[in-house]
Amino acid sequence: MDVVDLARTQFAVTGSLHFLFVVLTLGLAPLVAIMHTRYAIGGNPLHERMTRFWGQIYVINYALGIVTGLVMEFQFGLSWSGLSHYAGDVFGAPLAMETLLAFFLESTFLGLWIFGWHRLPRALHVACIWLVTLTAYASALFIMVANSFLQNPAGSAEVGGRLVLRDFGALFTNPTLVFALPHVLSAGLWAGGFVVMGASAYHLFRRTPEREFFIRSLRIGVLTAFVGSLFTVGFGYAQFGPVGSVQPDKFHGAVPGTALGLMITIGQLVQFAVMFVLTPLLIRDVLARSRWLHPLLMVMTPLPFVAAIAGWIVREVGRQPWLVYGKLSVADALTPGLTRADVTASFAGFAGVLGLLALVDYVLIARAVRRGPGRVVLGAADLPVTAEPAPAHAL
Amino acid sequence: MDIFWFLTFAVLLAGYFALEGFDIGLGVLLPVLGRSPAGRDRLVGAMAPFVLANEVWLVALAGVLFGAFPVLEGQALSRLYPLVVALLLAWIVRDAGLWFRRRADGAAWRLVWDGALCAGSAGLALTWGAILVAVARGLPDSPLDAPAVAGGVALLALLAWHGRTFAAWRLQDGPRGSGRALLLSACAAAAPAVLVIAAATGHMLGNAAPDPTLSVLSVMVVPVAPILVGAQVWVWRTFSRGALPTFF
Ligand code: HEM
Repeated sequence: MDVVDLARTQFAVTGSLHFLFVVLTLGLAPLVAIMHTRYAIGGNPLHERMTRFWGQIYVINYALGIVTGLVMEFQFGLSWSGLSHYAGDVFGAPLAMETLLAFFLESTFLGLWIFGWHRLPRALHVACIWLVTLTAYASALFIMVANSFLQNPAGSAEVGGRLVLRDFGALFTNPTLVFALPHVLSAGLWAGGFVVMGASAYHLFRRTPEREFFIRSLRIGVLTAFVGSLFTVGFGYAQFGPVGSVQPDKFHGAVPGTALGLMITIGQLVQFAVMFVLTPLLIRDVLARSRWLHPLLMVMTPLPFVAAIAGWIVREVGRQPWLVYGKLSVADALTPGLTRADVTASFAGFAGVLGLLALVDYVLIARAVRRGPGRVVLGAADLPVTAEPAPAHAL
Repeated sequence: MDIFWFLTFAVLLAGYFALEGFDIGLGVLLPVLGRSPAGRDRLVGAMAPFVLANEVWLVALAGVLFGAFPVLEGQALSRLYPLVVALLLAWIVRDAGLWFRRRADGAAWRLVWDGALCAGSAGLALTWGAILVAVARGLPDSPLDAPAVAGGVALLALLAWHGRTFAAWRLQDGPRGSGRALLLSACAAAAPAVLVIAAATGHMLGNAAPDPTLSVLSVMVVPVAPILVGAQVWVWRTFSRGALPTFF
């Protein structure tokens, strides 16, 4: 592999890892916000337990979203300084907005939400998780704006060998954005719904004492997946028109073609299963009582994640050899002077550390699911600020 | 317009070191100040509700660098390649330590992630020191040499002191815990970075993005600025006093 391939692989690996966690964040955040709101309004303790249990899963998942995101943020400057040189005056703007208008607030409000149990008034505490959801979606918007600019450099013109911004609004009405954004957001809902469904199926299958809790959760998970899958597939097909008009032979290569086939197969089959089997079986809780189906639900849980990674492969590999479509090739964007040794070392470091942490994180999520709502740490009691007095020596 | 964004950059940089500086310093001192697992829980509990709100200052800084000074972003990050990679790895390890240390039981588990927290924090301080030295010297070709190491060690000591002041203030340990002492150590923690960036003023202003880009950024960001500030103030009002939350 030469330097370009190595740097590309590094971006693909860290990007895929990032998205695996982000897609679940996008799906779980609104669910947790709704659960918390129901608790705040009705005061039902079941809703509080749901908020804390699913909120803890959300938060454990979020940790990896942050650390993989840090690498993404800095990778442009590290490996692809040609991009900031050529297109930074346009491409930099949505990224800057993502950090200032979305991530900065998301992280601040998430801190308030995680640590604010027992101290924030209930309404303000709920407001925090809604603000986290809102800013997470804003973050997806700005990142997709930036990515869509790479697919189709709208709103810009080349002056003196560099792109300048001509029409900021055109970045937001980019045809490669308008259907892709809802496609991704609904894919997130689908993934979130499936995690809630799979975890609930596990508890129902194991016949743990939390039956009521997980019958309700199963319902939430399947219904969320129903809505998510409907929109994912709808906006998925809607993408063919705009993509075909700006990137006509995008899907002709072997890799994008195969990945597209995989995504559509999964999307189509699983959507039918959700719509025609799982959702109708919610009536009178048949699904919750059909224990033999529960292992199947657990096995299905990773499918939206597989489809989502396939989707990114389609979108990004299909763009090759361009970084900014039709304008700047990936090879030309590589940081000048970067050596194989540089990239190999950083790739090994990032992939090794992030890969390991991702595994640990999934084990921790599985563990939190297994331990169930009875042993949730999120929102547990505080520690007194003064140190425990040293025990007076016993006589 | 370019002056406005340069000042924003400088404020974010100063804020990062003043705020995240104490998290880093406290992480470095974790084994020293917290001899027992319970002691370490107390220290982490003191900083935990602030970390998420503090570390984003650097993310925002990187965003402003990319949005308002894109050419410099490419130049600086690629010239500092090994240091930035080390910085990121240290940051990741530190964050993993925080998020994971209480997610499973067992003394060994805690020890591993407390170690990650401490080592990652030390790595952050050392690489930042080296980066500041390299920027002050105009991005030399090989940024890893004796002055860089000296800068790293010096910053480590400075941030450790800041972290200690913060812990004394938040945990109300003894007379050192006054708010004025914390303000002083925060200014000291920010000072080196502010000096380095002040020296680079001319270079930065000469490489700002053109006005159309900066105007768009201003129109989008300035109206939201009060919310950014308000959210930070809210964090401080909520978590400066009282019992210590336990999630991290
Ligand atoms: C019948 C089902 C589906 C169709 C027709 C479809 C269609 C598409 C198309 C055409 C693209 C490429 C857009 C481009 O290259 O610019 C794409 C991308 C993508 N797909 Fe799908 N897709 C389907 C199912 C799914 C499912 C089930 C998921 C995940 C749950 C998913 C997640 C994604 C993601 C994350 C991307 C990349 C971002 C984007 O372009 O939106 N897709 N999809």
